[in-house]
Amino acid sequence: MNFLKLVWQNKAGFVGFCGLVFYLLIITVGQWVVDFDDDVKLDQINSPPGSRLILLTRPEDKERYVSLADLEGHSVGVLEKTGGPAFVNNYANADAIKVETYKWRSSRGVPDALEGLAKGEVDALVMFSKLAQRFVLDSENRYFQKDYAHLTISNSKLGPMLLLGADTQGRDMFTHVMNGGRILIITAVTAGLISTLIAFVLGTIAALVGGMLDRALVALANFIIVIPRFPLLVVLAALVTLNNWVLLATLIGLLAWPALMRAVRAQVLSLKERDYVEAAVALDLSQAHIIFREILPNMMSFVAINFVVAITSAMYDQIGLIFLGMAPINDYTWGVMLYFGRSRGTLFNADSAAMLLAPVIAIAFFQVSLVLFSRSLEELFDPRLRSA
Amino acid sequence: MEDNLVLSVQDVSIIYQVARGNVKATNNVSFDLYKGEALALIGESGSGKTTVSLSFIKMLPSAAKVTTGKALYTREGKTVNIFELNEERMRAFRWQDCAMVFQGAQNAFNPVLKIKEQFFDTAKAHGWRKRKEVYDRALELLKLVRLDPERVLESYPHELSGGMKQRTLLALGVLLDPQVVILDEPTTALDILTQRAIIDVLKEMQGRLGFSIIFISHDLALAAEMASQVATMYAGEMVELGTVDEIFYESLHPYTLGLLQSVPRLERGQDELTSIKGNPPDLIDPPSGCKFHPRCDFAEAKCAEKKPEFATYEKEHKVACWFPEKVIEARQGLWEKAS
Amino acid sequence: MQALPAKSQTQPFSFLEKIWRNYTLRTVIQSIFTVWAVITFIFFLVRLMPGNPIEIYVNYLINSENLTYEQAYNRAASQFQFDPSASWLEQYFGYIGQLLRGNLGESITSTGTKVIDQIMRFLPWTVFCVGLALLLSFVLGMLFGMIAAYYRNSWIDNLISIIAAILGAVPDYIWGLMIIIICGVQLKWFNVGDLRGTFDPSLQPGFTFAFIFSVIQHALLPILTYVMGTVGFWILAMRGSTTSTLGEDYVNIARARGLSQGRIITAYVGRNASLPLFTLLAINIGFVIGGSIIVEELFVYKGLGSFLFWSITQRDYTTMQGILLMITIAVVFSNMLADLLYSRLDPRVRISGDS
Ligand SMILES: Nc1ncnc2c1ncn2[C@@H]1O[C@H](COP(=O)(O)OP(=O)(O)OP(=O)(O)O)[C@@H](O)[C@H]1O
Ligand SMILES: [Mg+2]
Repeated sequence: MNFLKLVWQNKAGFVGFCGLVFYLLIITVGQWVVDFDDDVKLDQINSPPGSRLILLTRPEDKERYVSLADLEGHSVGVLEKTGGPAFVNNYANADAIKVETYKWRSSRGVPDALEGLAKGEVDALVMFSKLAQRFVLDSENRYFQKDYAHLTISNSKLGPMLLLGADTQGRDMFTHVMNGGRILIITAVTAGLISTLIAFVLGTIAALVGGMLDRALVALANFIIVIPRFPLLVVLAALVTLNNWVLLATLIGLLAWPALMRAVRAQVLSLKERDYVEAAVALDLSQAHIIFREILPNMMSFVAINFVVAITSAMYDQIGLIFLGMAPINDYTWGVMLYFGRSRGTLFNADSAAMLLAPVIAIAFFQVSLVLFSRSLEELFDPRLRSA
Repeated sequence: MEDNLVLSVQDVSIIYQVARGNVKATNNVSFDLYKGEALALIGESGSGKTTVSLSFIKMLPSAAKVTTGKALYTREGKTVNIFELNEERMRAFRWQDCAMVFQGAQNAFNPVLKIKEQFFDTAKAHGWRKRKEVYDRALELLKLVRLDPERVLESYPHELSGGMKQRTLLALGVLLDPQVVILDEPTTALDILTQRAIIDVLKEMQGRLGFSIIFISHDLALAAEMASQVATMYAGEMVELGTVDEIFYESLHPYTLGLLQSVPRLERGQDELTSIKGNPPDLIDPPSGCKFHPRCDFAEAKCAEKKPEFATYEKEHKVACWFPEKVIEARQGLWEKAS
Repeated sequence: MQALPAKSQTQPFSFLEKIWRNYTLRTVIQSIFTVWAVITFIFFLVRLMPGNPIEIYVNYLINSENLTYEQAYNRAASQFQFDPSASWLEQYFGYIGQLLRGNLGESITSTGTKVIDQIMRFLPWTVFCVGLALLLSFVLGMLFGMIAAYYRNSWIDNLISIIAAILGAVPDYIWGLMIIIICGVQLKWFNVGDLRGTFDPSLQPGFTFAFIFSVIQHALLPILTYVMGTVGFWILAMRGSTTSTLGEDYVNIARARGLSQGRIITAYVGRNASLPLFTLLAINIGFVIGGSIIVEELFVYKGLGSFLFWSITQRDYTTMQGILLMITIAVVFSNMLADLLYSRLDPRVRISGDS
């Protein structure tokens, strides 16, 4: 309770804290609320966020053509590379409908289809509501087609709606975003744990034992620090096939400890100078007592803060590797969404922005939450930083 | 005598605004400082010595506010109220008219600039741009403080010892020929021999250059040696002011007496040492009447009710106490026992 | 890394001791030593990894090009610059000998191309981009960090600090993605496709205005990305450092000495506050260069980072090894430069013996 009150005093830290709780909920209970749905739904391919398939007709046919059943024996226009074609094909009596497929070219395809409908080439169009919105409903939009504005929507709920739309294979992005963080976060936390643990143990040993061992450990840390970590990781990832997250976490953790280890060592050295530790040494208390009773409790805040920081840097490394395709992509994570976004070119598709922005924002907000939280921890543990 | 008045402090009060309330760090302090005179401010830690002297160069922290009073400074017949100087005139005033050597000035020099650069910096800030002249003057002053001038000027601060730094700072302090030099515990954190050397140097410099000194110290012996006038401060107030002899041999305030009794003296036995009972008061919510009364051996009901005036007792000797006679009596008892 | 001779041997080694006392020499020697350690590390890294890449490559040659084991092995040996029949030690010294001659071996995928030549083709672009970005973000960070420290606990400070924390928290490549998605694709401020590569290929390289403009234009987005990714770090570091410098006696006394505000901010506060930042520079250089792999890949900027990635996807081990080595050496030496610069700026470092 006290802790929460202190966190509340620092507004930014509180935001970070809430963010972390939110992510914790998502990775724990989130999977029961929103099932991971990896089914390929052809009729949802390239569905823009929050939109659904609708039926567009000429105004006079508004009452006549409301469902696909009404269109048996008539012709229907669909846009290639969207859910439309599959949607019509899935219709039980699809053979009875004549399907006209319009090529999808970024801006030309839709006007072609609209023209076809207006001229009577087809009797109705199956398209995503966002496209209809853009081309015929919203007169402010720069794609707005004045000539076809008279076309009307006869059925605005032809297909289901996906909150974040679907990717090029018709997979529901919302469930991916909701479920794509678990493995990432678990890996990052594990890696952070590994590196913090190594740093803490080696740093303490170096400081307490001193002598040759100390020098050797410091030299090792200094050496690992100069090798740029990410390129080394990438090369290592190419040499050992990273096919599961445990291996990935271990590799990241094994390379990330040196900077923290030096800091821990410095901290322990300065703690050793403090009176109560010197007193413990003078009283000839055991090493274990000194470490666990005198030094450890005084290092907890420092270690906690750096653990949080280690998670952020593990996240950086991990997503970087995944983004380059050098780390496991069999789990569908935010990183993998970015990887596909780039390798399949959806990155440059204006309509798919939400698909990429969702994982981007999920990652960014996670990192920001961690950093804000660690900053508030710092204030919490160091009253000097607390502003009056 | 009036012609020689350099700094006339009248009724200065300063508060610090903090979360808990207002710290009344200085209350109605008044004193006059004459040319070539040295005034020592003595008093316990936290009695407001630093606060009041910082106000003379407008270097108080932003939480502080001067609530009443004036500090009239006179140079070549012209008198100004320091508190009313604007930012630019204040900048010129600092160091050129009034130099302050801070408490614990081991860290007084910028570690990345050579000492000579810091002399040049100071001179340049006051429009003295001839490096050669500044250099020569610096040589002369450093010689005066008994350092090897060339070596010091070419050194970085970390290459000098603590005592050397302190002496260099003294030399820098008088570079621009100020009329007033404030020394805030210039010798704490130095060993006895170095302290001695610095005091000697200071006296010699004062003799040659003729500036006035405000000397802040815990060390009563040093204060006695340096100063001609001594002021005792307690809880932000000046409680006694007089010549060295008056304060040390004819003290009129119980607090001054307490201070004197708490330091060893050759003429008294070690066993006579007593410390003042109790603790300094809370300056946010100070005691009523005379602020010293809760700790005073001679206090009566009156002391808690009414605040004594800071008034002249005889000649230039001023005191703020209802019963100075009691102090005189007690003091005589002490002397008799000692002899 | 302490090569200090033992005390009892000081007599004959006093010469070495003298070198050690000299800060510049010592820094240089330490750097050279580090480079040697890195070379050794990478040598064993590529040869000791599970699934020895050389074996893999030999197998690949046998399978895809129908060579005999013998032929394949010989080819691999010439490309990797080592004699597989020799002992570890001989291989190792052979490798170092080749390196000393500036020979990093031949590319596996494009036979006959020297790795060093390839690297030299791509390196300048990365150095240009990363260097400029680091400089910019260092300067901006110092500026805003100082402003935040001067106005600490005011709304200006809060604003700067929170923005810095957010900038620093989010990975640079995520900023890059946001720039592409939001500014490029959605708002159409620029055409992402046009900005690929290091300059407009229709232009002739040279000191023409159009070419230089194109180079800057193409480097702009990567630089912006790097700056966004690192400036937060510098702001917070400078803020902390300035805050503690502002509390130093010499700053107060400089004010009491009547120095002008400008002189105090630059020579007294700024210079001292920036000192600790130089020691952080080294870590940051490595970080930015590391990030350049993704950022260059993202913007299709043909620098060393994207070349490293390319060589990895091609399983071009010699190139990989060479680039990793070059990157590390670059970091070690920029480290060294930062150290030397630091010693120029802080007189206390030059004299003190061991840190
Ligand atoms: N920045 C500040 N904010 C709030 N209160 C302050 C501040 N500086 C000083 N004070 C208070 O003002 C009072 C006087 O302090 P000052 O530093 O003037 O004492 P001093 O006599 O110089 O003591 P010392 O001998 O220890 O140097 C003290 O009670 C102190 O707590
Ligand atoms: Mg003081």
